[in-house]
Amino acid sequence: MKQLLYSLLLLVPVFGAKAQNPSLFPSSFTAEDEVTISIDVTGTGMAGVADAYIWIFSNPDLSGGADGVTNGQWGNSAEAAKMTPAGPNKFTFKFIGTTMFGQTPAQLKSFGFLLKKKDGSAQTPDYKPYFFDPLIFVPTMARIFPSKVDRDDVVTVNFDKMHASSINDQRMAPATFTITMFDDLNNAVGSPLSLPLRKTDVTIWSGSFIPEASFTAAAGRRLFKFKYRFNGSILDVNGAPSSVSTADVDVTFTRMK
Amino acid sequence: MKSINKTAILLVLCVALFTSCKPDALKELGAERDLLSSLQGNWKLVKATQVDEEAKVKGFPYQQLDITNLFPYTSFMFTLNTDGSNPTGFTATPGNSPKIIKLNSGTWKVDNLKYPKNLFFTNGTIQDTVSLGGYPVGATTLLKLRKEKRDFVSGKLLISYTYEFTKK
Repeated sequence: MKQLLYSLLLLVPVFGAKAQNPSLFPSSFTAEDEVTISIDVTGTGMAGVADAYIWIFSNPDLSGGADGVTNGQWGNSAEAAKMTPAGPNKFTFKFIGTTMFGQTPAQLKSFGFLLKKKDGSAQTPDYKPYFFDPLIFVPTMARIFPSKVDRDDVVTVNFDKMHASSINDQRMAPATFTITMFDDLNNAVGSPLSLPLRKTDVTIWSGSFIPEASFTAAAGRRLFKFKYRFNGSILDVNGAPSSVSTADVDVTFTRMK
Repeated sequence: MKSINKTAILLVLCVALFTSCKPDALKELGAERDLLSSLQGNWKLVKATQVDEEAKVKGFPYQQLDITNLFPYTSFMFTLNTDGSNPTGFTATPGNSPKIIKLNSGTWKVDNLKYPKNLFFTNGTIQDTVSLGGYPVGATTLLKLRKEKRDFVSGKLLISYTYEFTKK
């Protein structure tokens, strides 16, 4: 009886755990690694279909995007885009970023995808963005430290004016940064939080926060990603200060143990 | 007959040679120090460092950051008790510091009483593990604890935190 009870207790986490959907293996990868996408389309427009085709694209919402070489036409997907069935409503697909998009590791920042019928008459929502790990260090205007963070880590956002490309970003005197937090259902968590920046180098301003200390997800939900931007002022033609902000940058938490 | 004798002598010599080849245990010079009791006492955090282990492996810039003064880490204190030969209880007083160990009180254990490397803090079903980065013995008065964070799926080391403590 005791053994039966222990066995049942052991099974509780199995049934209680909610797998991430879609899931990628490995969870972190470069543009030269093989990635396996696993997805359950239950509850989407593709539920119940026997054959699913991937429509994959690089750098969603960024410049320099490209369609996957396997995509074909929207009304007639190529057979190379056909997903491998893995049970009712479940499919998998393997690809390597550089081969799939015909782009170099330096050009590939992220990818997104959806599943569709061959003739395009049904589809899932977009799943994006999934970021490639860089093979070389690419200095950018906005950077977080460490490069991967979980919800309870100290996260430091850095604004490097040396790598700013827009006129406002180049002229801005940075003062604060703003964090907007989202849960795993993409709902905003709390209100956006603005915190002060400190100058840490000749052209760099930094600010730090601990996600779980500043934001609390609703019951049953968890912090999933955040956006950050830098705020400051520039002087207008009359020498009067005017408020400006950089574009938002997305960061998805990496689950750690 | 002579060749049999030679073979027997060679065999005996070989056996003697191989059985006598044992690695020497790396013992400390001088009197052996009691590392476990060096951990006992009240400790106060004086430095916290965060390391991007991936950046370190790849040789990228921005590998580590001193986070001591970014948050009130220095308000963290904890006490390790022993009964002279074994670890017993511990208490942590985090103050306003971010979490360093998950528990505020309970019992602690080490993986090796003579040469501890990992400390295991337990309270009920909750356990937290930190590794020792340095013993507070000899000329070194700092206790260094290191906490590693790994990718949940692959187990790849992504971040580490090093906390340095002085005895109160």
